[in-house]
Amino acid sequence: MSSVKERIQSLIDKNRILVFMKGNRAIPMCGFSATVVQVLDRLGAEYETVDVLEDPEIREGVKMFSNWPTIPQVYIDGKFIGGCDILRDMYQRGELAPLVRAEATAG
Amino acid sequence: MTAEEIRTRIEQALPGSNVQVRDTTGGGDHFEALVSAPQFAGKTTVEQHRMVYSILGREMAGPIHALALRTSAAQT
Repeated sequence: MSSVKERIQSLIDKNRILVFMKGNRAIPMCGFSATVVQVLDRLGAEYETVDVLEDPEIREGVKMFSNWPTIPQVYIDGKFIGGCDILRDMYQRGELAPLVRAEATAG
Repeated sequence: MTAEEIRTRIEQALPGSNVQVRDTTGGGDHFEALVSAPQFAGKTTVEQHRMVYSILGREMAGPIHALALRTSAAQT
């Protein structure tokens, strides 16, 4: 039996870019989650998503895990990057592309 | 929760800060905040946002459904 913390850690370990969001890539259920998907898609990022609406334990657990009270949450290389506002700002400043691209070269 | 309440709360917790809050839907649950504070100096954006979230505490889990946030360290 694994705790929710272990489940979250394992998801982050298994996916280089992981988005905890409401809904999924095709049908985001919240404007902030939709923005994150849009930004990552525009950069051609390969990423996985976890729909927190399907999993109440993760929905609450990930807020504690990240010390971040809102969804969406983005992890890259095991590191918490931020939510929608931070991701969009990084994209606009050109800081997100290199983070996302590291995937291709590490590949 | 009103935009004014949020603004006051943040300004009291971060003396010298400049805070603007807008209720984006008029419904008292979706907000947009611009916070510039000297306390943010030397902190990452993630740390700055965490500071604002922790000031708002419980409200983030209930009355405030959404808070779009932009933070910056004060110039002076």
